[in-house]
Amino acid sequence: MRKKPRFHSLKKLKVRQDWSRWSLYSISQLRAPNTGTKTYFQQKWTAKSDTRAYHGEQIREKKWKRLFRRNLPAVVPMDHRYLARYDGSEQAAGRGAGADSSEKERQPMQTPYMQMAYYPIERRLDTAIFRALFASSVRQARQFVVHGLVRVNGKKMPYPGYMLNPGDMFQVEPSSVMFATGARKERSSTARKIVKEKAAERAKAREENPVPAHNPKEKTTTVATRAEPTPKELKEHMQSLMLDVENVLAEEVGAKDKQKFRAFRQTVRKAVSLWGKATPETVSTLDAQFTFLKDALNARRAELAPTAEEEPTPMMSPEDQKKLSDAFEKLKLEHDHISTWNKRDASAPYATPWRPRDYMAAFAFIPRYLEVNQNVCAAVYLRHPVARPGLAEVPTPFHIETGQLAFNWYLRRR
Amino acid sequence: MPPRLRSPNFPSVSSCPSARAQSIAQPARTARDFSQSSCRQVTLRRRKFYEWLNGPGRALKQPLPGSTNYLGAYDKFGNLVRGNVAPEKTPKKPKEGEAATKEGAEGEVAVTAEGQESADALDDALRQHEKEEQASKKKDGVQKLPPETAEDLRPFPLNRFFRSQPVLSEELREAIYQFVVKEGKTVPLASITFGVSNERVGAVVRLKQVEKQWIAQGKTLAMPYSKAVLELVPTTPYIDTSLPKNAGKRPVVHEPINDLIVHPATRQQLFVPVAESRHFTREDAGKAFDNNLLPADERIPHPELVKVVRDEIAGFSNEERRTRAEQRYRDAMEEKTAAEEAKKLHELQTKKIVPQRRWDFVFQDVSVEDAGRDGRSHKGVGWRYGLPHQDRKKGQVKIPTQVEA
Repeated sequence: MRKKPRFHSLKKLKVRQDWSRWSLYSISQLRAPNTGTKTYFQQKWTAKSDTRAYHGEQIREKKWKRLFRRNLPAVVPMDHRYLARYDGSEQAAGRGAGADSSEKERQPMQTPYMQMAYYPIERRLDTAIFRALFASSVRQARQFVVHGLVRVNGKKMPYPGYMLNPGDMFQVEPSSVMFATGARKERSSTARKIVKEKAAERAKAREENPVPAHNPKEKTTTVATRAEPTPKELKEHMQSLMLDVENVLAEEVGAKDKQKFRAFRQTVRKAVSLWGKATPETVSTLDAQFTFLKDALNARRAELAPTAEEEPTPMMSPEDQKKLSDAFEKLKLEHDHISTWNKRDASAPYATPWRPRDYMAAFAFIPRYLEVNQNVCAAVYLRHPVARPGLAEVPTPFHIETGQLAFNWYLRRR
Repeated sequence: MPPRLRSPNFPSVSSCPSARAQSIAQPARTARDFSQSSCRQVTLRRRKFYEWLNGPGRALKQPLPGSTNYLGAYDKFGNLVRGNVAPEKTPKKPKEGEAATKEGAEGEVAVTAEGQESADALDDALRQHEKEEQASKKKDGVQKLPPETAEDLRPFPLNRFFRSQPVLSEELREAIYQFVVKEGKTVPLASITFGVSNERVGAVVRLKQVEKQWIAQGKTLAMPYSKAVLELVPTTPYIDTSLPKNAGKRPVVHEPINDLIVHPATRQQLFVPVAESRHFTREDAGKAFDNNLLPADERIPHPELVKVVRDEIAGFSNEERRTRAEQRYRDAMEEKTAAEEAKKLHELQTKKIVPQRRWDFVFQDVSVEDAGRDGRSHKGVGWRYGLPHQDRKKGQVKIPTQVEA
């Protein structure tokens, strides 16, 4: 069998969908197609082979042919003031060539339909992950999908060929994203030694005290079934919550001991779950938790006040409320601090402190049909890529004539 | 081909050994005769590759601080094009041109059919904002690069129809989230206020919600990555107009919000003879293409804006226009909810759901006629004679086509 050609060959320069120096070099060496000395078939063939090496190189030709569409989507940005002022009859005025006018009208910009030939491929999950800057190549993105590191609308999606629908949200494991886009790790002997020692330590700790099979869920479920907590329970919980609040407020942001923050988070969760009516969706953010606790306690007090008039003790005094909100603020700050802190970490699979990998800057762009949130490594596929006057949304490194030739190749039935 | 004969006295064939030594890290091969392995000699192509990498390509290896770093921003010798211009001249010259184009755009807005001019104006506004920031930085004594032009934002220099477009900055995302979730404003209003398309507003809110959930759960965010990426790509800044320092400024528009989709029916060229005396409007033109084609004023994402301007032309006062717009919005909402309720009611009447332990049974009326005249329509229910299921056949694609959110 013939040897498979190199993926990055200097003999036959092909642009590939990755952030490598070879791709960058090939992009810099690209030229407009040679139309002078080649036959039309040769031109189309070369254009097709060059563009296919970049667009969906991982897809078989037959599959791509079935994906190909000859109708290319486009939009025209409209001006609402124009639409309100004119009903379009002014364009139909005059006869034949239109109404006479002394000044020349500005020609609208060309809509580059021919750069959109490969737009169905941008719908694929693996390509979208690459375009959202979550992987350094399409092949890597594909591997992430196959390895189960990608979720679409919160569900695991192991098919790289999944066609995203407008409105689909996809998430990639942040550690994998940081590995894919981060600078490569220099493997030193000391780093390796450290990792080995740590693993040995962990194994030892596991052997010494195996984790007791306790079931914390049992308690919470029994509590959650009740709609209203008894006043006594409530008081106990309030006390423990306020104690944790004090602890958190006393703690420094960025302190090594994270236990108090963790304990606070847990008590808040317990306090919320005490009220049966709270579902995890309604109190998913800290702000929502705060407002929920405040409202629930206030409502409780309003109920209690008329019955027990001699003891109008509010469940949560304004000072306590202030303290609680401060504690939540501090929790946010602490979390921000931890997330931002780009520390040296021998066990991470990328160079630490994290920095973008070489040549990433030259490839870093996010097309408009995606909305990306880098903090959670998630993105939403808003709509299909479109062409608009002067702009095509499919990122392609080739000349428009190359695009046209490639489009014509697939247009024709041979 | 046998390996080339080489004398150890001449380690390289190159006429310029100094250049080679500079550009190639790996040493030239030592001759190993009779070896079957491929010749590892440094070829012309590889030499050129390394020359390019160490020459023009060197600047692209690391990000440019405080700016994007794309191939289109460099000439073929690896010099930053906008870096060469004297810093004194740059702010002055484009400003005049920009002012002229701006005036032109303002004047044309009422005349031209497409909003493309306005799309260009968006970029101009963005650049103007950047320029102002640069000017303020310069006052502080920090020397920085001039802002990028359209050419500098091209990652692929050969493709003039693609450029890296700005993404939303962190502050803008947060502002949109607060506007929609905290203040409870509608999505179209957020879209108009921030100059961001409807879908993007929804996506930003959804993603922000996930981010806030992660914070509440104590999951670590990918902050270093996020910061680095937002440094590498151009971003749309958030201008809080409520702040006193931003008084008189307008928020930077992120993207054109009134995109009209080119309808497939309008792709063909039509020659419709029309009497010269006839008032042939957009609506008539639409009818000529397709009888069901709505006019552009109703197919754009924000038809309410058109109505507001029409009210303005009709001579309504500010207050009246607002009340009318609100009334229209309320009517539309009522209609929508009524339709939804009717649909729900219909489902309740036609569907019967029997809840079970794990799965629910759903009973619903079907008709034999659904199978169609030849009995082969996919709408038909149940197994039909002569129509085998294809799903176990080889080559049937089983990738899901949609995932419920």
